[in-house]
Amino acid sequence: MDRDRRRDRRSWDWDSPQCRAQLDEVFFRRHDYIQAGSQEHRDFWSFFDRFQRFKTKREMAGGRQEDGGGQGKTVKVDLGLPKEYDARYRINVSVCTRDVEERLGKSEHRSRQSSSGPGEQEISDLRLALLHFLDFTQRQSFGKLAKLRREQKNLPIYQYRDRIVELVRSHPVVVVAGDTGCGKSTQVPQYLLSAGFTHIACTQPRRIACISLAKRVSFESLNQYGSKVGYQIRFEGTRTPATKLLFLTEGLLLRQIQQDLTLSQHQVLIVDEVHERHLHCDFLLGVLRTLVAERPDLRLILMSATINIKLFSDYFSSAPVLQVPGRLFPIQVIYQPIPSEEQPTRTEKLDPRPFLRILQGIDQRYPPEERGDLLLFLSGVAEISTIQEACQVYATHTSRWIVLPLHSTLSLAQQDKVFDISPPGVRKCIISTNIAETSVTIDGVRFVADSGKVKEMSFDPKAKMQRLQEFWISRASSEQRKGRAGRTGPGVCYRLYAESDYDAFAPYPVPEIHRVALDSLILQMKSMSLGDPLSFVFIDPPPAASIQTAVTYLKEQGALDGTGELTSIGKLLAQLPVDVVIGKMLVLGSLFNLVEPVLTVAAALSVQSPFLRSSQHNPDCATARQPLHSNQGDPFTLLSTFNAWVEVKKERGGGSRKWCRRRGLEEQRLYEMVNLRRQFKELLRSHGLLESENRDASAGDRGQRRERLTERRKLHQMKRDHEKQENSKRKVLRLEEGQDGEMSSGSDTEERGRGKKDKEGPGQNVDIQEVKFKLRHNITELQDAVTVSADMSSRQQALLKLLLCRGLYPQLALPDEHNSTRKDSEQVFHTKNKQGVVIHPTSVFAIDPEVLHVPEDDSREGPDRGDSSRHQLLAFVTLLETNRPYLSNCVRVPALQALLLVANSVDSNADCTRLVVDGWLEVELRDAEEALKVLSTVLTHRAEWERLLRVKLEQNTVEGALGQGVSRRVLEKLSEGLVRFLLYTEVTYSLRRLAAFQIQNLYVGPQPESELSRDLKPLFPGAEAKPHPIKGGLRVSSFFTYNCLADSRDLYSECLRTFWTCPNCDLYMPLTPLERMQHEASCRPAGEQQQQQEEEPEDKKPGPSSMSSLNRVYHCDVCDEDLTLTSTEILKHKRQHMYSTK
Amino acid sequence: MEHSSSETSEKTFTCQLCGLSSSYSYYGQKPPNTRAIVLLEECFVTKDPFNPDREKFLVLGSTCSLCSLCVCAGSDCSLFYTKRFCMQCVNKHLDQFPHQIQSELAKKKQSSKAAVS
Repeated sequence: MDRDRRRDRRSWDWDSPQCRAQLDEVFFRRHDYIQAGSQEHRDFWSFFDRFQRFKTKREMAGGRQEDGGGQGKTVKVDLGLPKEYDARYRINVSVCTRDVEERLGKSEHRSRQSSSGPGEQEISDLRLALLHFLDFTQRQSFGKLAKLRREQKNLPIYQYRDRIVELVRSHPVVVVAGDTGCGKSTQVPQYLLSAGFTHIACTQPRRIACISLAKRVSFESLNQYGSKVGYQIRFEGTRTPATKLLFLTEGLLLRQIQQDLTLSQHQVLIVDEVHERHLHCDFLLGVLRTLVAERPDLRLILMSATINIKLFSDYFSSAPVLQVPGRLFPIQVIYQPIPSEEQPTRTEKLDPRPFLRILQGIDQRYPPEERGDLLLFLSGVAEISTIQEACQVYATHTSRWIVLPLHSTLSLAQQDKVFDISPPGVRKCIISTNIAETSVTIDGVRFVADSGKVKEMSFDPKAKMQRLQEFWISRASSEQRKGRAGRTGPGVCYRLYAESDYDAFAPYPVPEIHRVALDSLILQMKSMSLGDPLSFVFIDPPPAASIQTAVTYLKEQGALDGTGELTSIGKLLAQLPVDVVIGKMLVLGSLFNLVEPVLTVAAALSVQSPFLRSSQHNPDCATARQPLHSNQGDPFTLLSTFNAWVEVKKERGGGSRKWCRRRGLEEQRLYEMVNLRRQFKELLRSHGLLESENRDASAGDRGQRRERLTERRKLHQMKRDHEKQENSKRKVLRLEEGQDGEMSSGSDTEERGRGKKDKEGPGQNVDIQEVKFKLRHNITELQDAVTVSADMSSRQQALLKLLLCRGLYPQLALPDEHNSTRKDSEQVFHTKNKQGVVIHPTSVFAIDPEVLHVPEDDSREGPDRGDSSRHQLLAFVTLLETNRPYLSNCVRVPALQALLLVANSVDSNADCTRLVVDGWLEVELRDAEEALKVLSTVLTHRAEWERLLRVKLEQNTVEGALGQGVSRRVLEKLSEGLVRFLLYTEVTYSLRRLAAFQIQNLYVGPQPESELSRDLKPLFPGAEAKPHPIKGGLRVSSFFTYNCLADSRDLYSECLRTFWTCPNCDLYMPLTPLERMQHEASCRPAGEQQQQQEEEPEDKKPGPSSMSSLNRVYHCDVCDEDLTLTSTEILKHKRQHMYSTK
Repeated sequence: MEHSSSETSEKTFTCQLCGLSSSYSYYGQKPPNTRAIVLLEECFVTKDPFNPDREKFLVLGSTCSLCSLCVCAGSDCSLFYTKRFCMQCVNKHLDQFPHQIQSELAKKKQSSKAAVS
């Protein structure tokens, strides 16, 4: 062909990059529709290659249609179509390149001569290819759109589309009930969106659902790359001002209501999955019920499975219900009750035979070519590993199964494996807890085996203990489990119980509000001013006792006052999205200079433990973890782990992943911790509990700033790229996948998986968590914060322990007195409400229980007396009963000091040698003199601590007013005092629980008025010593009642008067204990008694810290300031005022 | 749409054959930001929702050059051959289309029949 000749002559080479570049200059310039260098541009050239190959093949085959072009004679018919077929005619696009042609026209001759540069033919070849490419991309995108619309139309809910919109328009509350697969979660929000509703919020019980729904719905509503549809969860979100539809968690919506009771930012609220009856959801419904009445413009849509619909409708004054059929394939139900000889007994492990029979049955009945996986529901982790072991043996033998466990304590990478695909001829056998019932949806499941059991958390208000117990599931759960077999095709459900069992099941699961502690709920209700929690109209009210327990607990914690109103600390705690105890720690930490470590500990205690259970028995992990362990307690181990991780991140960035793997740590938890930590910090700051950091944006010179900016931009790009790639294909599992067992979990198996992914393409090896981490946190800043807590002195450590203890109070446990004679694994502890609890095997104290024993050489007066100055207590975060009651997250504290500093009730006898704390612990001190000294110190320190805390809390409420706040010096003095008390109190005492009969006759009871002293002056300003109305004795402070114990001697008996020298003034006289405490309290070396100061200018307390003991706090009335000065300095200071006033 | 007042001229295109509907942002032959590209018919055009580039367009459909039915670009509803024809008109005047198209349609008809049965 002459075209070819011409091409030869001019040596035009389509494959040459130079030649292509020349055409780029013509067609893909900077302002063109497709620009050189863009993705489309790359796509075009690869399309071009294919297109050319296709054309050549055609020509070779003898087809000559392409040549038809303009030359062919066209025969006009009445449609006006060209007779000669040309594929070009099927394209409705044209590329108008007049400018190009003009340029060519001019250079026609030139280009003929020069051997380079595209000629007319090349231009037209390329144009044709470009047209086909454009047509191809149009078809591709249109195909996606059409498919999408088709799928939407095929959903069962589609035909109710107009009805739903109509109902929402005409009713304030609508209930949409539909079963799995009807499409309600994705479609209803879209229907409303396209009907013109805006400011739509849709709640989900799970964070992960918020993200995936937002993604799906934005894709379906053709807004994949916009922000019309967004999500918002605890730490992240994609919400912008343009967002019209927002997916968020139930908890987050509640927080929004807490801030704005009218919830004016939303106009339509969709509450999804209401049938799951989560605590937050039940509460949310209660709040919305009121809100709907107050805001007639608000639209509320409840979405539920088709169970118990009437309950919801009735709760909202007979709201209309729209019921939509689900879309499930038929499922065959086979009842295979476990024969009695294989029934599990209480002590034995689960018998795997019934489960193995199901695997065998499937192998016999269904040919391996017929795909379909098995999902097996068991109650708990222990059960899963028992059955997994047995199934694995069978799997190895038959080579037809890959056995995978699924529960929430697995590493995320392991959890993720259940979504991978098995090789042909092999089925997955996923052994799961009820997590796969609703939270995790796995496609491709054809068989379900249901044990009918579930482990559920319940709360025992009497023992103040959570309990994880096994129950039969409800019929609703049973159906839900069955449904998992029919999502993608017809399925089979094996029930390991009889049909009669099924009929006896409860219809629905017990709602969460009936099972859990209601502390946080009640606190939140109080802060939303919802009145008496007992009279709040819940959809299904919790037991009154449960509410009462929570109220009492909150009172004990100081969050509610005696009348049940929020205290200032309670108001603050209600704002913090954490447990009350953790919130208390944060507030206490912000008072002292221990914010950084407290932030870390609070964050660590609020997320799942980063230490993977499965790695605990791996000797390599155990060795690598060793340096992270702290025998002070688990919070300290978490603290040092976090600190070490931050250091590693600073040094090695993404290398932290490997570091974590080696130690059997789930890095995701550490990322959660760092995010939570930051959120806590911001919360404290916004409540004025933390000075706002002068975050120096101008830190560093301009160059550095620019560098940071470029870095950030790069990170954002990486994040976007990652998001685009996210739906990359699932990998195929190896047959030996399950055999790795749990031992090596998360170590080399992940490495291998990783390696595979790396090969898939550039950008895949980006650690997205690392990218997000870098975007969210300033590592240098974080490291600074961490260094503060890493270099803690033993004094700071002691203080931190006290803060944790006060936060956790009353969650204290006493080691059993015989522990030192018991085996390590049989150490027993007692809490006030529950005896004989043990330490969870994951705790450092389970590994190293000796640190809790009273040192033998210390029990001077014989071991039977149990006297020591080193008794210790455990403060713990959770008490959870599974097969035994376990304490987890414990920290050890010096018993006497901690008790006296944090307890709500301390009662004494007349000489204060016998103390009873919180009505269950008895302390007997050997030395009355020392006992008095200790109590006196405690009274002083606690009063000061309370005062400072009050000032700190008020400071943030009355902003700016008297903005003095707490002076640093006063604080330092208090912490110094506390530390000294904690570390250097060397008094000998015994510590034991009171027996029941002792508790009965504990107090002397109310005494006739006359017997009590009339001339007793208040010991502390504001707190009057009054006779205690119930216990008897004298109530000296809010927590301390003097001389109320039944063995007490007469208050004024002479024998109690002993000679005593006041260390502050030179007073020397016989005094009763009370008189002495009274004197000590008023003779505090504070500035109130100025004469005294002048009388004893050279007064020095001999002691190790003589420097600081010389300084004392002096309140100058003129300056209205607390000053820490020596006595001489105080005089000088006063004189200075005298002169200035003159 | 009664509620979409704030929206910048959000209009809806609906195929009169298959019912596919989607909002469109432009009607005509020269969608914005298309530079050298011209459409050979008046089209309902929207931003391509599957392309991260905001400037890429997607033709949803146009009107049949014979009967003026509003049809989508899907091959079940319409065909472009120098002009847009809805499938109804194509079938009516099938003999006037080149044999390539005729055999293509016949093949499609068969396969879709097979899929149904």
